[in-house]
Amino acid sequence: MSESLSIREGKKLAKPAVYAGLVIILSLLPLVIGSGYMLHILILTFIYVIAAVSLRTITISGQFPLAHAAFMGIGAYLSGMASKWLGWSPWLTIPLAGLITAGAGMLIGYPFARLRALYYAMVSLFFGIGVTQAIYAGGVWTGGYGGLIGIMPLLPPTVSKVPYYYLFLGLAIVSAIALYRFEFCRIGTTLKAVAQSYLVASSVGINEGWYRILAMGVGCFFVGLAGAAYAHYNLVISGTSFNFMATLWLVMYVLIGGIGHFAGPIIGTFILILIPEFFRDLKTYSPFIYAGTLIIVVYLMPQGLAGLPQMVRSRFTEHRKDKRTVHAA
Amino acid sequence: MEQAIPTLTNILVLSSMYILVALGFVLLFNVVGIINFAHGAIYMLGGYIGFAFSVVCGLNQWLALLLTVLVIASFGLFLERFCFRPFAGDFNRTVTICIAIIVILETGVNIIGGTKILTFPAFVEGILRIGHVSVSYERILTFAIGAILLGITIWFIKRTKWGQQMQAVSQDVEAAALQGINVNRISAFASALGCGLAAIAGCLMGAYMGLSPFMGDFILVKVLIVAILAGVGSIGGIFFAGLVLGVIDAVFPLFISGAASSAVAVAIVIVILLIRPQGFFGHEMEM
Repeated sequence: MSESLSIREGKKLAKPAVYAGLVIILSLLPLVIGSGYMLHILILTFIYVIAAVSLRTITISGQFPLAHAAFMGIGAYLSGMASKWLGWSPWLTIPLAGLITAGAGMLIGYPFARLRALYYAMVSLFFGIGVTQAIYAGGVWTGGYGGLIGIMPLLPPTVSKVPYYYLFLGLAIVSAIALYRFEFCRIGTTLKAVAQSYLVASSVGINEGWYRILAMGVGCFFVGLAGAAYAHYNLVISGTSFNFMATLWLVMYVLIGGIGHFAGPIIGTFILILIPEFFRDLKTYSPFIYAGTLIIVVYLMPQGLAGLPQMVRSRFTEHRKDKRTVHAA
Repeated sequence: MEQAIPTLTNILVLSSMYILVALGFVLLFNVVGIINFAHGAIYMLGGYIGFAFSVVCGLNQWLALLLTVLVIASFGLFLERFCFRPFAGDFNRTVTICIAIIVILETGVNIIGGTKILTFPAFVEGILRIGHVSVSYERILTFAIGAILLGITIWFIKRTKWGQQMQAVSQDVEAAALQGINVNRISAFASALGCGLAAIAGCLMGAYMGLSPFMGDFILVKVLIVAILAGVGSIGGIFFAGLVLGVIDAVFPLFISGAASSAVAVAIVIVILLIRPQGFFGHEMEM
């Protein structure tokens, strides 16, 4: 009895232990890695982790927006333009850009809440395309096709990439914890109820439209934050980083990792950004590695990478059950 | 007035090409049951294979067009069997496999063909002059081929046995199978037909606007707009929606810059869909 209890407690502790181990490894990495390029890739990974996790937060409400990179672009351009044209400090413009992006997301979510399933996905996709075209059409304000240059850096220009690394690692961890808390608090549970059946949810007094808008707002806040931080790290932003294909990449990070698990988008982002980096020597052929990863995952792991342990476990337990029935017969 | 005739030809050419590609997309959606995000990439591949046959191999252009259609249609059969059929109805996995196809095709074409914009040789030379107005034969031909193909495809779907089987499968797969229709064969055929139409449009647009490895992204967006605006699954509706989008795309750039006109066009589409969420001729659907 006591033994099984301790096993259960051990299992409960296993997950936080894994997370803590990962955080410790990630925070020690800059001591090992000397090259600035690898740190740059890891910093980008942290930014996309925030974007992918926040996209998944919106999808738990049962809506699949295909405009997430566009919201990232809204955050990046708002913050970049405020710092360039108004001369505001990036430390002020980044949270402000997050808030305004959240507002934009809710404003868009309000009319879009009457669309469902495929129509919602498609109309949000068109919205994303509209945002990219508006960025291109912005003339001198947004830099048009050439991109916005001359954005104020977040830290003094002399510092190496290591402070940026810790800054973005911290931002990613804080965002992930906040979104995790959001998913498993009462609102998150309500959102899952809305996703399962909006009719049943509204029949027990849940204002499903409002909850869907709220999910949009929360997701867009974090992606706006990530986009704004990216603008002040990279110092050059252009519409191509936030176009329709960029949204589909974010969707890939979520789906390959596994949309049913919180850890899914985190795993997916790391795998899909880092695997092509290991094959960088192949240069132009490295996208094939990327496509190969997608094909392997889609054929062999329907639940994504995060669903792999569960798949393996269920296969073993099924096997055991078969044996038992054989014995019983 | 001087701009009226060129604008009108632009409207007709763009609309017919949008409708041609969107028809294949809608066939795949209805019959096979997938949202083919790779349709733009297949269209691009069609253009490049046509270029390879006509310029690199030096074949007659019309023969090259025919061979291209055959190659892309068999590619469509392959895709249907190994990429679409196992995941039919599963949105998440379909999107993933389509992205993989896009990445493979765009990277492959990029490595073989290079990033430079290639010009597909014109099918016919010369300009038609009536009074002050002049229209190139190329555009008339593009529109004519598009219109004829659309007519044939619609006749095929409405009147022939295979076309009617396709309609039956798109209405209800299980009931169609119970009537003795070979559903797998019909969806393989629909996939080949859809990809073949995309390949023809790729060759024609390659002659009209030039070839680039990323031309598929542009047409994919247009096709999605046409298919959703028509109402998902409506074949008749895509004619109207394609014409609407063709008018928007041909007329707006006369007044404002290219990017701004695209933004306005998308805004108009969003407003239409918010007023009428199921599109012009559609009905509410579950994903």
